Amino acid sequence: MSIEKALFKKIKYSFFNLGRILSIQSRLKVFFILCSTIGLIAVMWLMFYSGFRYFDTMSGFGNIIINKLFTFFFLGMGVMLVFSSIITSYSTIFRSEEIPFLLVRPVGYNQITLYKFFESTLLSSWAFVFIILPYVGAYATYNEMSVLFAIWTLIFSIPFLIICSAFGSIFIIIFVRFTPKSKKFFFFLIAVIVCLLIVTFLLNPTSDTDKAMEVFDVSAILPGLNFASNPMLPSFWASEGIMALTHGQIFRGGMFWLLLMLTATSLLVLINDIGGLLFYNTWLLTMEGGQNNKRAPILFKWLDKLLFFLSHDIKAMIKKDVRIFFRDPVQWSQVLIFFGLIGLYFINIRNFHYHSIDAMWRNMIAFLNVFCLSMVLSSLGSRFIYPQLSLEGQGFWVIGLSPTSMKRIVLTKFFSSLFAMIIISVTLILISSFMLNVEKEVLIITVALIVSVSIAICGLSTGLGAIFIDLKQRNPAAIVSGFGGTLNLILSLCFIIVSIVPIGLILHLKTVSKITSQTAENLLMFTGLWLIIIILSSSILPLSVGIKSLNKNKGM
Amino acid sequence: MIRINKLSKSYGSENHGGAQNSRKVEAVKNLTLNIPKGELFCFLGPNGAGKTTTIKMLTGLLRPSSGSILINGIDPEKDHISSKRIIGYIPDMPYLYERLTTTEFFEFTGELYDIHKESIIEKLEESFALFGLLEYKNVLVKDLSHGLRQRLIYSTTFLHDPEILFIDEPLIGLDPYTIRLIKDLLKEKAENGMTIFLTTHILALAEDIAHRIGIIMRGELIETGTLSELYEKHGKNNLEDIFLSLTGK
Repeated sequence: MSIEKALFKKIKYSFFNLGRILSIQSRLKVFFILCSTIGLIAVMWLMFYSGFRYFDTMSGFGNIIINKLFTFFFLGMGVMLVFSSIITSYSTIFRSEEIPFLLVRPVGYNQITLYKFFESTLLSSWAFVFIILPYVGAYATYNEMSVLFAIWTLIFSIPFLIICSAFGSIFIIIFVRFTPKSKKFFFFLIAVIVCLLIVTFLLNPTSDTDKAMEVFDVSAILPGLNFASNPMLPSFWASEGIMALTHGQIFRGGMFWLLLMLTATSLLVLINDIGGLLFYNTWLLTMEGGQNNKRAPILFKWLDKLLFFLSHDIKAMIKKDVRIFFRDPVQWSQVLIFFGLIGLYFINIRNFHYHSIDAMWRNMIAFLNVFCLSMVLSSLGSRFIYPQLSLEGQGFWVIGLSPTSMKRIVLTKFFSSLFAMIIISVTLILISSFMLNVEKEVLIITVALIVSVSIAICGLSTGLGAIFIDLKQRNPAAIVSGFGGTLNLILSLCFIIVSIVPIGLILHLKTVSKITSQTAENLLMFTGLWLIIIILSSSILPLSVGIKSLNKNKGM
Repeated sequence: MIRINKLSKSYGSENHGGAQNSRKVEAVKNLTLNIPKGELFCFLGPNGAGKTTTIKMLTGLLRPSSGSILINGIDPEKDHISSKRIIGYIPDMPYLYERLTTTEFFEFTGELYDIHKESIIEKLEESFALFGLLEYKNVLVKDLSHGLRQRLIYSTTFLHDPEILFIDEPLIGLDPYTIRLIKDLLKEKAENGMTIFLTTHILALAEDIAHRIGIIMRGELIETGTLSELYEKHGKNNLEDIFLSLTGK
């Protein structure tokens, strides 16, 4: 039997044993996860469908958008997949504990790379199924398409996923192999990024609205729509191919599918060759980094002085967490990529001329930005805040046995993550509002909303992280994908929807004069009250249950 | 057999500011050692002496800064696949696939070495019986205790009959029954021609099973010889005294 067959057989066994593990879980738990997943897909389907119906009411302009949205959707998915693959590939290809096991066995470096690439593709793309399914479903329902549309989408999605994931994996292998490891280079890289951001910011006109831009120009409002139709993009091949086959154009559709398959196969061959040439040396580089310190590390020595007002135990925990975070490139690079991308988009808002469009649209974009940033916050909350107690792992006894209480431990985790989250999220929302030139009222509401979302996400993630603590698991991805992690993500998403949608709707109705200013003010007051209730219930409640649970399970 | 010639491993680089500012750490310095076929060689040393670094270089998990290694005449740098076919490695904290059953893990390991399926099944019964794993055949690895996991890793490592075996701390977390089992098995395997290179802190184990002992200190091999040679050379009749006097503790 070939090595490849053995490796894939192992994956098959692991997959089937997952069912065995699930069968010993509580049925209520499995039922809850299933219902939540179906519910989430249904809600997203409804949102997408309503979106299509809304665009439909705009006649010509709306129809242009709808026709181009499918291509644009694949472009957006592709970009997200590449970034997702960059993040996942690093931990899967270079940081996996499985690598030393395979390296001492007669497995080729190219085989390990290819096997790990497929694992990374699976890990980075499964979540997108939850976006693809409702979107494609809503699109097909809206256009009254046949079932074949779903089949073609599936057939085209597989090579498309491989292509996007391959770009990410190839980039990370080359980047890790050839990037100098010195701190000087790292700071140089950060300085270059900061300079680029400043230059982009300075080059953007921040003056008054350009009156000429008030003319309705589709390509200016949604410039991505034109770019998405570039025939050199694999996303274009996928969307065009699906459409062609759905409309019975077999040869055109077949050509696009072959194009995708050929590109995917070529990239697999490239990964195989790059793996054979670079994998071993690159893996050694990642393993040997950091073993060269004779000097005492001075990372954040100033933190001591900065945190002078805190008591010794809280200060110690915060210092430890900050040091661990910044010494793990996987952690800070993920945060940098997520917030960096969203920051780059906010800074470039004026390049898209969003600041010069009608107030109604600007308000809508401002709320969409809050929604988008909240989504990023919820995924980061699930990725970093939720598993932080579990990741204390074998070292939890050090904290657990120290003269401090579980309540202080949990609250320290909560407040320190909230502090970091609020600084980043409020800064980004202020940039977005400034770039969009929104009214003062909208600015205050969006800042209040993002602060509320931050409190809720930190509360939920810390609280549920304490309730579902798993000190045996060392892999953050496994902690996050467990029941508690899934529940945390679902509840965070629910909070985002029930907090942002009502306020956005009231402001929209006011802008389009469907309700009076007085009614809007009254409704906003009620919504404020609603917001306070849901913030309290999604932060205080999980935190107190989490603390109780930790106290109860002290003997873990 | 294992031939190690002037093997060194250093981390970091020399700074221009002289030795005071040097960030270079030499974990292993100029190690030269020949271990003939069928020898059970015990590598002793205090914590941080370079034992694990040496074993990692021999198994290809670390690249030497200089020097050469030959595993039964094969240079692992040039032909890593051939060298890995004939070695077995049991690390101190072995990685196991949590979501596989013990049988599936055993089969998977056999398939990686391209062992015929019938042969794997045959050896599974034999090996599981030897290591007392028969009643855990369908248990997921994640549900095994530490001792059972260690037994499983021994069982799978012997599956492809390695000619050379590297073991890092072989007796961690094992019960007296398994310790006796492992010791007897290692002696028997060495008698049958397997070359065994093991690192340990347990001096009694080295006294009990080693054909030859090497002591490493701050990356340098400071002593080698059979137990009787060491007793004679140092005028002492227990390994503990020799070890402590050599390592200065």
